[in-house]
Amino acid sequence: MVEPPSILVEELVKRFGSFTAVDRVSFRIAGGEIFGLLGPNGSGKSTIIRMLCGLLTPTAGRASVVGFNVAKEPEEVRRHIGYMSQKFSLYDDLRVIENLEFFAGLYGVKGTLFKERIGWALEMAGLKGSEALLTGELAGGWKQRLALGCAVLHRPRVVFLDEPTAGVDPLSRRRFWELIHQMSADGVTVLVTTHYMDEAEYCNRLALIDAGRIVAGGSPSEIKRTAIRGDLLLVECAPLGRGLELIKRQPGVLDAAVFGAALHVVVTAAERARIELAAALASAGVEASRIEPIAPSLEDAFVALTGGHPGGSERAQ
Amino acid sequence: MNWRRTVAIGRKEFIQVRRDPRSLLIAVLLPLIQILLLGYGARLDADHIPVYVYDQEASQNSQALLKHFQASRYFDVIKVVDNYPALVRAIDADRCKLGVIIPWDFSRRLDDAHRTQVQALVDGTDDNSAQLAVGYAQAVVGAYSDDIQLQWFALKGISQQATQPLSVDYRTWFNEELESKNFIIPGTIALVMALMGALLSSLTIAREWERGTMEQLIATPATATEIMMGKLLPYFVIGLFDAALCTAFAVGWFAVPFRGSLGTLFFTTGLFLVVILGIGYMISVATKSQLGASQYALLVTLLPTSMLSGFAFPIDQMPAPIRAITYVVYSRYYVSALKGIFLAGSGVRDLAPEIAAMAVYAGVIVFFATRAFRKSLR
Amino acid sequence: MLGRIWRIIVKEFIQLRRDKYARFRLIVPPIIQMLIYGYAATFEVRRVPIAVLDLDHSQESRDLLARFTFTGRFSVAKILRDDRDIPRTIGRSSIPMALKIEPGFSESLRKGQTAHLQVILDGTNSNTALVAVGYVNQIAATFTQEYARGRVERLMPALAAMAPQVELEQRPWYNPDLNSQWFFVPGVIGSITLVLVVNLTAFAIVREREIGTLEQVMVTPIRPVELILGKTVPFFLVGLADVALVAAVGTLWFRVPFRGNLLVLLLGTVLFLLNTLSIGLLISTLCSTQQQAFASAFFFLNPAFILSGFSFPITSMPAAMQWVTYADPLRYFLIVLRGTFLKGVGLDVLWPQMAALACLTIILLTIGVLRFRKSVD
Repeated sequence: MVEPPSILVEELVKRFGSFTAVDRVSFRIAGGEIFGLLGPNGSGKSTIIRMLCGLLTPTAGRASVVGFNVAKEPEEVRRHIGYMSQKFSLYDDLRVIENLEFFAGLYGVKGTLFKERIGWALEMAGLKGSEALLTGELAGGWKQRLALGCAVLHRPRVVFLDEPTAGVDPLSRRRFWELIHQMSADGVTVLVTTHYMDEAEYCNRLALIDAGRIVAGGSPSEIKRTAIRGDLLLVECAPLGRGLELIKRQPGVLDAAVFGAALHVVVTAAERARIELAAALASAGVEASRIEPIAPSLEDAFVALTGGHPGGSERAQ
Repeated sequence: MNWRRTVAIGRKEFIQVRRDPRSLLIAVLLPLIQILLLGYGARLDADHIPVYVYDQEASQNSQALLKHFQASRYFDVIKVVDNYPALVRAIDADRCKLGVIIPWDFSRRLDDAHRTQVQALVDGTDDNSAQLAVGYAQAVVGAYSDDIQLQWFALKGISQQATQPLSVDYRTWFNEELESKNFIIPGTIALVMALMGALLSSLTIAREWERGTMEQLIATPATATEIMMGKLLPYFVIGLFDAALCTAFAVGWFAVPFRGSLGTLFFTTGLFLVVILGIGYMISVATKSQLGASQYALLVTLLPTSMLSGFAFPIDQMPAPIRAITYVVYSRYYVSALKGIFLAGSGVRDLAPEIAAMAVYAGVIVFFATRAFRKSLR
Repeated sequence: MLGRIWRIIVKEFIQLRRDKYARFRLIVPPIIQMLIYGYAATFEVRRVPIAVLDLDHSQESRDLLARFTFTGRFSVAKILRDDRDIPRTIGRSSIPMALKIEPGFSESLRKGQTAHLQVILDGTNSNTALVAVGYVNQIAATFTQEYARGRVERLMPALAAMAPQVELEQRPWYNPDLNSQWFFVPGVIGSITLVLVVNLTAFAIVREREIGTLEQVMVTPIRPVELILGKTVPFFLVGLADVALVAAVGTLWFRVPFRGNLLVLLLGTVLFLLNTLSIGLLISTLCSTQQQAFASAFFFLNPAFILSGFSFPITSMPAAMQWVTYADPLRYFLIVLRGTFLKGVGLDVLWPQMAALACLTIILLTIGVLRFRKSVD
């Protein structure tokens, strides 16, 4: 890499008492990149973001954002970043315009730029004409875009988005990602956390996080390619549970898991396994309606790497 | 009304209180803190009133008068100063409440005019302390005056006149030593009950709304009355426990006499708890948020119970419109009952008016509380 | 830096203006408290209703009893007929005192023996009883002296005039009518400000923490000190306005005099407000929800109020409790308030209070700011 990294994280550790929330995490993000941290709730994604914003002090390791050390120069760091927290923390009892003016003031946006940037943010969020509405009355998607607008009023070089689309309807989510890509095209570095697999696909590069550690990294296609050592088969059968039991015991099957109403089975060789599985299921009286090879998704990659689903709620904080 | 359902709700509520540190804090710590604070902090006795003396004469006579002040258990003669500004400064700076000035012609006027004066400068800022101080000072000087007069009569050989013509024999009932702690502490129990009861019960329904478990509860066959009874029952028990705790503290620690019967105490406390829990319940039904509920609970209990119940400020000295308001202050009846039970040993029959008022109050509150809850469901 | 602080102040005022409950809290409770304390808070014993049992029916007994109503301190509410009426009255009605004169009262007096006046007191309200005792003693002393003098006068008029007599000339300063309102009203200014400002400050910060905006604000280039200033300056101003409001009601409606120097009062008020703001800040660092802030504020405010000397004199407390009161900022502010309103004293007298307030402010503010910085770090 010729260009210096926009975000550099080296062996970052955060411990809360005896609990290690972030365990020797390293990555580097180039300018203009959209980088995703993908992992279940409580895996340490938010903790990493909060350290990069200077909200938490790292226990060990080093991190810098646009060249400033986050532990030593948090104020310099904050000048160059925008941050949007999980809950789109805006003041519900302030009007749209008042929220924008407030954050513009805090970011030190001055003079003609003050009006200009606020106008830009309103435009971007599609809130032109709704300036006088109370923020609390806005629907989720609007509120989300307003929060993004507030976070980037000062044209930050890096934007941190912590679960930016939680609780927002699909259409608004789509529109939101378009905005993110526009910003990236303008050279803004975006670090986003999510547990939505489909969203992770929008990122240039990803790091998969589980229990505070990075388990895989790369572009979405790289991850999918390398995470699964073998071929992936989709099996639709009834009853599903008995089919799963049976398939797991078959030779040549590396892994099998339920995905929706079907099974995803990782095998050493797709063509041979297709015939063997069909025969095994038929002889056990399990009716298989469909067995065919498919391209692995990020979710498959995640399951293969961690043995769990990223959106799973069983990993409570 | 199905008792099994009511008890089931009650048991659940009790478990929640036991596991919720905040509720436990209110149920156990609050009464203790409150009774200790008020038991020690809310006293009106003026036993050691600080006194400065400016003795301009410094004669045998003035010394004798000074001795009378020193001997009084109500006064502490802190300092004898030799100039007027020092005395004024002491009063200004709150170093003393009373400044006694014995004029330079004190004895001479006694000899010449047979009548002499002592000046008492009283810091009137705190009118009550000032009133008491003046009363005690009057008594000291009066006694001194009687003394020298009778001595003089004796000296002149009018021995018959040497006897004191009038003696006032005080017989103080109920609070023989006139200690303010005996007056304040029984009322403190009312304050504790009101605070604790309203805070806890106002949280109970609000909590269920906030957590969304209320809909679950409504979906069961339990009726509004059963839910209310079940939810309030544990607080009723806790309330009785707190009353016992406070009484034990009042009697065991602060040595307040307890002359009535425990039966009367628990009976009146029970009635009061119905009123206060009902009020707390209505608040929580109305606000549906724990924060709002506790703020309102504090507002409707603390101010009226501390100010308008006769807990410390005597109701019969208030202006008529305020006195009229006190009749709707539910705690006034309980405060009055508590003082009667503790000090006068009043029984149920003596407290009939208070009990009747509380019973009426309880009926009205329970009626409205059930209705309010049913309404909030729709 | 000033721009950022200004933005927060503006935002805080917009929120205050829009929050119906906060608006209500700023105006209604202070006035209600003022009225209740002004009218209901009184330990004054203006007129004591008494019951009278005169079994002597003589000129002397009637003369003595007449002196009680004559002073205006007592009013005869009930005439009793025999001893059994006494327990039916004392403790059974609102009459706290009964006077009983035995048969033979006048005879004793005439014979030069000691005659007895029995006073039966309901001691339940020790304070009323004590004040009443003071009045009775005064009446009895005058009666004694006049009767003794009169006796001598009849025998030896020349001597009578020479009997020595000492009188107490009392001069209540600052509050000559010993009016309770004058005592309580200045105090209300302090107690209201304490409750209001501590709550407002603690809640304003904790609420932001609860909804997450505090974190959002912390990632902007703002410094913690700027944030603290931005969040406290509005409540400082609100506190000043409330002091002015309550003081205006006190002097205009209740006619409590203001004899001191406004600047001295202002200095005390500023110091006290800094204290209350620091306490609010401190509470906010200990709590993550508004509910917790409410409980913490209550557990602090309740003792602060009781131990301040607001209604119960500090000198009446046990020594250990008196020591605790030195940590109570309200204690000092009450002295400043009563000193400036009633006594008209200046800094030469009030400097220890000011110094104590300043010390407390420095301690509380340091802890508050340090803890706050840590809590947002």
